[in-house]
Order: sequence, then structure tokens, then C-alpha cells
Amino acid sequence: MFEWLSWFTHMENTKPFVLVLFTVTFVLIILYVFSNRNRSKRLESYKNIPFDDEDENGQSKDIKNEQ
Amino acid sequence: MVASSAPVEQYNYDIVRKFTIMALVWGVLGMTAGVYIASELTWPFLNFNIPEITFGRLRPVHTTLVIFGFGGSALFATSYYVVQRTCQTRLFSDGMANFTFWGWNLSVGLAAISYMLGYTQAREYAEMVWPIDLLIAVTWVVYLVIYVMTLRKRSQPHIYVANWFFIAFILATALLHIFNNMAVPVHMFSLESYSLHAGVQDAMTQWWYGHNAVGFFLTAAFLGMMYYFIPKQVGRPVYSYRLSIIHFWALIFLYMWVGGHHLHWTALPDWASTLAAGFSILLLMPSWGGMINGIMTLSGAWDKLRTDPIIRFMIVSLSFYGMSTFEGPLMSLKSVNALSHYTDWTVGHVHSGALGWVAMVSFGSFYHLIPRLWGTKMYSEKLIFAHFWLATIGIVLYIAALWVAGIGQGLMLRGFDEYGNLAYTFIESVSFLYEPYAVRAFGGALFLTGILLMFYNTMMTIRKSKKEQAEIDAKVAAKLANA
Amino acid sequence: MKHESIETNAGLLIVLTLIVISIGGLVEIVPLYFIESTIEKVEVEGKETIHPYSPLELRGRDIYQREGCYTCHSQMIRPFRDEALRYGHYSLAAESKFDHPFQWGSKRTGPDLARVGGKYSNEWHVQHLIAPRSVVKESIMPNYPWLMKSLNYKNVRDRMRALKMVGVPYSENTAEYEANVKRFGEDVAKNLDILRAEENLLAQAASGNYDGKADDVTEMDAIVAYLQLLGTMVDFSKFDDGHFADFR
Repeated sequence: MFEWLSWFTHMENTKPFVLVLFTVTFVLIILYVFSNRNRSKRLESYKNIPFDDEDENGQSKDIKNEQ
Repeated sequence: MVASSAPVEQYNYDIVRKFTIMALVWGVLGMTAGVYIASELTWPFLNFNIPEITFGRLRPVHTTLVIFGFGGSALFATSYYVVQRTCQTRLFSDGMANFTFWGWNLSVGLAAISYMLGYTQAREYAEMVWPIDLLIAVTWVVYLVIYVMTLRKRSQPHIYVANWFFIAFILATALLHIFNNMAVPVHMFSLESYSLHAGVQDAMTQWWYGHNAVGFFLTAAFLGMMYYFIPKQVGRPVYSYRLSIIHFWALIFLYMWVGGHHLHWTALPDWASTLAAGFSILLLMPSWGGMINGIMTLSGAWDKLRTDPIIRFMIVSLSFYGMSTFEGPLMSLKSVNALSHYTDWTVGHVHSGALGWVAMVSFGSFYHLIPRLWGTKMYSEKLIFAHFWLATIGIVLYIAALWVAGIGQGLMLRGFDEYGNLAYTFIESVSFLYEPYAVRAFGGALFLTGILLMFYNTMMTIRKSKKEQAEIDAKVAAKLANA
Repeated sequence: MKHESIETNAGLLIVLTLIVISIGGLVEIVPLYFIESTIEKVEVEGKETIHPYSPLELRGRDIYQREGCYTCHSQMIRPFRDEALRYGHYSLAAESKFDHPFQWGSKRTGPDLARVGGKYSNEWHVQHLIAPRSVVKESIMPNYPWLMKSLNYKNVRDRMRALKMVGVPYSENTAEYEANVKRFGEDVAKNLDILRAEENLLAQAASGNYDGKADDVTEMDAIVAYLQLLGTMVDFSKFDDGHFADFR
């Protein structure tokens, strides 16, 4: 029933299979993330989230009432 | 404490403060145990014929206290802080958060005591006996619930990248913990049990767990820490958010395959260990992608390196991350592994990751966090500098000593004389280790001294914070009395 | 689908993460249970020679784990010339198929123990465990004098029953006993009988007299019995050279 799995245990089958599978996936992800200019701009905009909880002079809220 | 001036804080910092203190407590205890067992290997009389402190029983105490005690508490503290700050909402359920605090620390403490008494599952990094495993499982589920519920009530539409890493770490740890600890107890009231898997399947399951304890507990989660605290400390956003997307998916996918490289040349079938070696090489890419993302974030602030010891901790931690994620794939090559496996090279490699990367990035994050948690400046900046140098020199000595020990012993054991006989007996290679072991113990002691300074510095900061708060309260009271 | 759908939806993020992290383990662990060549068949004259531990050896193995021996000793010989000369034939997967948990180890602060059985006398082991440096001057192993205390074997039946639940063929009735006789031969099958566990344990300790003390069954008896068994279950002279290489 599970003997078909042994196809994968032969390196001459598995190596090209895995190589093609992962290369295609990887290239697709790279293309998606880096290709479109608008998408890039949008994706990069999220990196400022850690600074959203600060007021304008860059001081974070939690230490501004420090004496 | 700052909490007293407002009835309810915007964020639940109380839980973060508690975990921060416990991280330091476990860190001090765990590293003390580490220095002690390193000394036992150098000077075996230190075993003193006392069962509870022999190397075999103390070694899991050391690994559990530093990985789960120090590392785990550091992750609870920072993940609870980061999720609140990036979602701009208060942590879900104070009661459940406190439950994770007691559940986790109880597990770590009981585990350490039970190993000394001889109760162990004899699985590396999963030595806890089954009742403790159950307590950990419950605590972990509550942790996941808190984390997800906090994400769900966020006031920010977007989930920041640091939280992805924390989520992956929580999920993967749950998966690994459950499948690796499946066992049948000897008796309902016995602490002992026998594992469900046996032999080769057990070995693969254990190292699937063991390496991903490194991959998710000690790497993915600490990358979450990196993605928040480095940008905050430098005051610049992360270098590339798109790179972080690739970094995340590639890292969590690839890590789960590589455990088999701990079993090269063993009775594990060749296909499994070859697969693991292949993925270990691939893993270099996301690892270095992440490191580059961190270093490029820091790169606008080189000038601060001279004045800001926290940034120094961060840059050194990233350097060690890059170094050990290069060394790892190298050691997973079958030819290199034939020499390095079973020797101290492996131990040195683990510590360049655990001390160099995990502990250093935690120290940096804590030095950033502690003033914010207690609403005051650190008690002494000089002590932070001293800590930095002790830690860095300690690690370098440690790793260098174990390179000599591991490569030296590996070469001795495979050496042949001119007649084709073994050139050295095993015990001759043990004698060779004496000096490297002494240097390793000394390097570890320097690192321990560093965290002791940090512990003192933190306690003095908390005292200072309380005093300042009392003064403010007194002033307010005086004003009210005059009015 | 945009990546933002994941970045803004905790549920989706969790599901996708779970899928991505499950693949590696599934591909590498599950087949090990189904591919038959993973564990070699080791049979001589129609009987399997690799068998579960006797009650005394089992208790010895428990003590081996309790003291954390695996933190410094491996039980896995690799197929290299130096290891063949130093330790013997490389380890087979079959040799640990009844080991719950496996004790292959990861570090050799001391030498490998996979084939230590029969290499040294019982007296040597007792002396070495009590005071290693009295036998090997440069040794860094701790002393284990407390192993001379009496062995607790009260719950040895519970232990065997727990192991039976995870698949070790200990027998509890006549049918199971007969199956073991067929599989391992009568001498081994007798020792796998749960109902006769205490009796067998005492008999093995008395006849082996591993600790040199006739009056008491000690932890030393158990651990030495275990160590003397390690690596002795396969007689490699009965197999052609390269017979086991086909399984790698």
C-alpha cells in the first residue's frame, strides 16, 4: 500500500524531483515579492509599524512621562 | 513602580517584568550549572561522589535551565511585549498570562529537581518526565490562545513580521513537544515512562525535535526579537520588509527537514540523512538573508556603535548568527560530520549559536526593554560595557577551545600508524582534552560573570525606579496637601 | 491571493504556517515506519537473534538512563575503519529495535558502548564503575559507588507491561509465550514472560553474580548485566561479508 513511497527513496528520482519543485516555488515567490513596483511599495510600508506607537519627536509613549 | 500612577496600564507590562526577572534568574542558575559541569570534565573530583551533582544528571539541568528557563522566559517576556506594542492593544487576559508564568516556571524548576533525583526520559533536550510534559503542553496551549486572541483584537490591520516568527515558534514547539514526548508511563503514579517509538524511528523523531528546538525555539523566535528590538534601538525601520517575507517562509519550511544531519553514518537509512544534509545546505540562504536584513538595519548607525553598548550586543549577536549558520551547514556535510560528530566541535557549535546569538540578542533586547518596563534609566551604563566585553571574550575563548578539542580529538581517533594500526587509544585522546577543557571552563566563567553583572545592574535599576516613584508620589502628596 | 491576506488574517497565517512546518517531518519520519528495508532481518536457523531485554537487563538499562550515561557514551558504531578496529562491526538498525527510547547518543566523552558486552570481565566493570581512575588513570568519569545498593525490582512487571503496550513482545499468556518460543527460541522466550519476571530476575542475578556479592541483588548486578549484553545479539560470523550493507 505504501510501497510507492519507495520511489522517493531512490536518490536518482528524488533529487531532480525536489530540485525542480523547490526551484519553481522559490522563483515564483521571488517574482511575486520583488517584481511589481506598486506591490513592493505597499509591502515595504508595513515596516514602520514598530514606530506607530511613538509621538512625533520619536519618543515612545511609555517613557515620555519620565521625570 | 510606574503602574501606581495609573489605575490600569495601557499595556500589560507586569507579565513582561516578571518573565524578564525570571529569565535572568534561570540564566544565572543555568550558566552556573554549565560552568560547573565544564569543570567536572576538567577536574572529575568535582563530582564528589554525590549522585545529584554528577555530570550525567547535571548536564540536562544545565541545558534545560538555559534553553527553557533563560531562553523560554526571555521569549515569553519579549513576545508578550512585542505583540502588545505592534498590535497596539493590551494582552488578552491577565489571568491566563499569569497562568503561563506559573506553569512555565514551575515546569522548569521541577524538571531541574527531577533530573538531579534521577528522573529523566533520557532524550536530549526533552528529558522532562511525563507529568511535567503535560504541564508544559497545557501552558503552551494557553500561550497560543493568548497570542492569537491578542492578535485578533489588534487595532492595527497588519500583523508585523516579528509576530509571524513568534507564531511559527509557538506552533512548531507545540508540534515537536507533543510528537517527541509520546510515551507510556510505567504506572499511573510512576514518574517513569517508555517512549512510544523505538530505535531508528525514535532517533529520527528525537532529532527532528532536537534540531528544531534549535530552529524554532532558539532561532525563529529570537529572529522575532531581532525584527522588533533592532529597529527600535537603532531608530530605523527594518532594511527590507520583502526580504523578511522570503526569510520567514523559507526558514520555517527548510528547518523542519534538517534534523537527520545529527544521524549521519548511523543506522538511519542513507536517503533520510542525505535529504537532511541537502536541506541543511539550503538553509544557509534564509539564515544569511535574515542576518543581512538585520545587519543592513544596523548599518545606518555605525557611529552609535561607539556610544551605545546595546547596539554592540546586537551587532555581535548577528555576527555570531552568521558564523554559526555557516558552520552548521559545513558540519552537516557527511565528510566533515564524520570527523566532527561525537566530538566537542558540536558542543562548541551549539554554544556559538546559544551564547553568541541567542544570549547576546536577548541581553541587547533586555537592556532596551528594562528601562521602558520600569520607567527609568539603567543603573549603570559602565556595567553594560563590562558585560559586553566579558561575554564576547568568554564566547571566543569557549569556541576556540572546543574547536581545538573537537578537531584535535577527531583527528587523533582516526589516526593510523605506519603499520595500519590505530595510532591512539581512546584514553589518550581524553588526556589531550585537558587544556582545551580548562580554557572552555574559564571562557564559560567569564560569560557567567557577565550575566551576574547584568543581574546586579537590573536589580539596582528596579530599586532606583521604586525610589524615584516614591519621590514623585511624595511630591504629589505634598502638593495636594498645600492646595 | 495577496500576501497581505496572510499578513492581516491571523487564522490564515496559522494554517499556512502549520502546513509549511509539517511537510519536512512527514516526509522524513513517516516512511521510516513503512519501508521494510529500514530495519534489517537478523535470523539464524529460523530464529530472530535480536530479542527484548530480560527483566534484570531492563532494570540495568533504566539505571543507565537514570545516571545520564547517554550524555557521554554513544551506542552507535559508524562504518569507518578506525571505529571497526576500536569498537567492532558497525551498528545495525535492528540492534536497537526494542530500545524505548533509543540510546545512540550524540557525544563521545567516553568511548562508544554499542559492543562493550563481553569485552571486559564483570569484576573489571564493577571496579571501573565504583572508581574509574583505579582502572584507567586518566579517566574523567564520575565514580558510581552508590550502584552497590540493593536493586528495587518491585514494579518490574509494570515496566514490562508498559513496554508491551509500545510494541515490545513480552508475553502474558500461553499463546504469546508460544509465539515468542517460535520467534526467539525457548531460552529467550522464558525471560520475556511477564508473570515470571521477578523469579527470572533473581535467577539471572544469582547465576551471573555480576557484582561479586552472592547475598544481595544490587543495581550493579543490573547495570553490568545490561552492559555485558550490549552488541552481543548478532553473531556476524554467521553472515556473509556485505550482507548488511544492502540495507544502507
